[in-house]
Amino acid sequence: MTTITLDDISLKNFTLENLPRLQELRTQYFARRPEICIERARYITQYLRYHDDAKDSPEVRQAKKVSHFLHHKSAQFHDRNLIAGSTTSKALGAPLFPEFFALTLWPELETVSNRAKNPQKLTAEEAKELNLEIFPFWMDKNVLEITRTRFGNPECLQLFENLVFFIASKAGCISHAVPAYTFMLEHGLSGLMELAAEKEKALASPTNKEQQNQADFFRAVQISLQGVMAHAEHLAEEAEQLARVANDPEDAAEFTEMAAICRRVPAGPATTFREALNAIWICQVGIHAENINMAMSPGRLDQILYPYYRSDIAAGRLDLARAIELVGCLWLKIADNVTMVPEASEEMFGGAGTVPAITLGGVDSEGEDAVNDLTYIMLRVTELLAIRDPNVNARYDYEKNSSAYCRRVSEVVLNTKSVPAFFNDKANIAALTGQGETLEHARDYAVIGCVELASSGRDYPASSSIMMNLAAPLEMALFGGKRPITGEEQIGPVTPAPSELKSFEDFWQIFKIQLDWLVKQAIQLNEYMGAVHQEIMPSPLLSSLFIGPMDKGKDLIQGGALYNSSGATHIAFADVVDSLNAIEQTVFIEKKYTFNDLLKHVRADFSGPEGEKVRLYLQNHPPKYGTEAPIARKNARNLVRHLFALYQSHTNYRGGPYRPSYWTMTNHAGLGGITGALPHGRKAGKVFSSGITPVSGAAPELTACLNAVAELGGELVPGGWALNIKYTPEADLKKMSEYFAQTIEAYFRAWGQQVQFNVMTYEMLLDAKKHPQKYPELMVRVSGYSAYFKDLNEMMKDELITRTQYGLTDGHAVPLPPLQ
Amino acid sequence: MFDVIGAKGMEKVWADFRNCFDSELAEEFLQSLLTLMQIVFVINHDYRRNLDKFNGRYQFRSVDGEVTIGVLFANSRMKVVEGMIDSPHITVTFRDGRTLMNFIISPRQDILGSMLKHDVKTEGNLNYLYKFGFMAKQLQLMIPQPA
Repeated sequence: MTTITLDDISLKNFTLENLPRLQELRTQYFARRPEICIERARYITQYLRYHDDAKDSPEVRQAKKVSHFLHHKSAQFHDRNLIAGSTTSKALGAPLFPEFFALTLWPELETVSNRAKNPQKLTAEEAKELNLEIFPFWMDKNVLEITRTRFGNPECLQLFENLVFFIASKAGCISHAVPAYTFMLEHGLSGLMELAAEKEKALASPTNKEQQNQADFFRAVQISLQGVMAHAEHLAEEAEQLARVANDPEDAAEFTEMAAICRRVPAGPATTFREALNAIWICQVGIHAENINMAMSPGRLDQILYPYYRSDIAAGRLDLARAIELVGCLWLKIADNVTMVPEASEEMFGGAGTVPAITLGGVDSEGEDAVNDLTYIMLRVTELLAIRDPNVNARYDYEKNSSAYCRRVSEVVLNTKSVPAFFNDKANIAALTGQGETLEHARDYAVIGCVELASSGRDYPASSSIMMNLAAPLEMALFGGKRPITGEEQIGPVTPAPSELKSFEDFWQIFKIQLDWLVKQAIQLNEYMGAVHQEIMPSPLLSSLFIGPMDKGKDLIQGGALYNSSGATHIAFADVVDSLNAIEQTVFIEKKYTFNDLLKHVRADFSGPEGEKVRLYLQNHPPKYGTEAPIARKNARNLVRHLFALYQSHTNYRGGPYRPSYWTMTNHAGLGGITGALPHGRKAGKVFSSGITPVSGAAPELTACLNAVAELGGELVPGGWALNIKYTPEADLKKMSEYFAQTIEAYFRAWGQQVQFNVMTYEMLLDAKKHPQKYPELMVRVSGYSAYFKDLNEMMKDELITRTQYGLTDGHAVPLPPLQ
Repeated sequence: MFDVIGAKGMEKVWADFRNCFDSELAEEFLQSLLTLMQIVFVINHDYRRNLDKFNGRYQFRSVDGEVTIGVLFANSRMKVVEGMIDSPHITVTFRDGRTLMNFIISPRQDILGSMLKHDVKTEGNLNYLYKFGFMAKQLQLMIPQPA
């Protein structure tokens, strides 16, 4: 348990005006346009083409490849940031990982710099190098193509390539991890190297294959760590060079200090707060050389860094202003990269960030209040910078954390209009202990990426392995295993026509047959791709920063972590529940429509006056998820229960279970856009609801909405969920933050796992869509992460506009104004 | 080949290709594209570098069976054949010329969107399609503007 020593936990005297470096860096950040960085692609291709030894183990090959890149990676200092190191060679870089989807950029090499939506700069020379030197090498060598070749273009892969059933994310990444940085900070990478060397030495005469694999793993760890340390040395050399040529003595002194820091850490143990910050950042840079930039999350930085902060403050080496400045510098460093997004993906799924999550507050491993001074410093930095990444999340235990903390987090949400997200310690810890994690480990959970849960440095959850479109099995149940979008092709099992069914229970059984079949396909493909990752994309560097691999002598991809799982998230949850409600109520209880009538109108997209009449009835009368209606509550509960049991019954290639979750990034817009009409009155092409959020306009009362969602929480959702709530901004901020905090507590007591907010009105978002230039920095919560509103595609903008807006004071939904 | 075609002929090939972007000639897109590609490989050294060490086998088919064309890249040459080819790296089945054009090149290369809408179906290694899309896009960017 910690003691708060700050006089003012809001730190309101520290502003961007009196923190000029942060103001300058923030201004530069918003002025920057993303540039594609080909450095990694260049050096790993070079390594594989000229130096790779196929006799090496997969871990050693990967380590050598990554280390080759790190030895050649340019040392860049783009601005006056006090933290040395950058993930790419560009100030705001989009790295290319040809092992995954980099080649999707090929068709637009000459146009990506100037495309209309979210251009990413690429020089003509770099485009030429990619076209002639780099991309040709990878034609048959990325994860997707190796999977196709290795497993004979299986049915599950073809389903994935149809794109409308599920997304198999391993074709694009695993990443999604929270390392354990404490050992590295205390012993340095040299300490880790020594440990790996000792263990390799102990296995000098392996007597079996397993021991040989272990020895190879420890060798790979050493090679990887050498790469990171070499890069730190290069940073030091470059900083020294910049110090020599600097005109301003103050600049020269800063570069000299950075050089000294890079010579000490991460190779050696960190001795100060700043060293600890920079050591973590250089390790993050190293991890990004090995793993693609998708949700590589630094974790509970207020806990990890607190001993260094406290010690520096006590010794008088650090003051609050400097601590805020340093944390701000780290936040801006974490935001130094974006994903490479081909234009086609921009259209359908654009606007997603890289979502490196930072987790604040909550309880410690003994279950006591872990909020400390650094928590409040990090909250203040989050409030001041108000930038998309890092994705900051606040844990809250309503029994252990103070109400002052909850109010302060609420205040930051109100001021930034969107961040941080709130996470309920009670429900999330229960979710993880339900997965067999010890209480102590579960209490040390951190958020990965959007909302996924992981015991810090112990859990390798591959949390975005499967993104299942729940509307697909619903349509397949309605149409005998076919989907309107795929025409007459028989996709799933042939199931009876709904018109033959006698009860809703019969339909529920058919829906489960289709759902189970599709989930099985998605799991099969994940298993295939997992095997390919084991062969070409191990992570010895990341593994060395985890608890487990160094004891087992096993890479994370081989099951080296203490806890192993694969995550499956779900798109269109609320739309599917409401469709089930509509079928149960109108076909089987009221008998207002026959199933045939209903299907006729669904097929016709509710066209014509009669269709519109039916649509309005279905939209307005049947029970809705997000209300107290018993049928809606039952169907939501049954779906969550079924998915939990279904996934948990499968074991992945690393020996762990599959964990269901409910977050959607922007996929609910993209997949909604290409899905036909559904029985709850949704017309074809309309976006789905995000995450676990009720359908827009379906839940008129805030309290009922929060309760309906909350009752699904805990053990049945071990992967986490994203609930989006939009509040009307109110003039009295203090009063609003009180209500805000009270609502959070009530929702958490009802077992809600997570909630995130947009504090803005329909009108404001409509205006932002119409006049994007007026809102260049408007940040919104999408589904688990933040985005700049202007960067989102039209469908996502509309989804955000039409999300139900609640008045916090009266708890009622605000009517949606007429949309033009 | 340029000598054989002559300046006038070349103008026509470019014009045919440019006209594909007008609605009435979209059906001819694939034929125009492949013709132009074959010519530019011959006359443009930089463009020809796309063929260096490239082996690729493409099958294009229209849903109605009207068009079945194989495109083979090997030994720094491009060859177009009618009918089915053996072991294509990728097979592209398209609804009509316009959907194929939208898929590959215009107004924006909408590979993902076309697949989601099931205007175009592919089977095989998409990386070959990405390279083909690049070569097509290069041609689009080379189109001489009418005087």
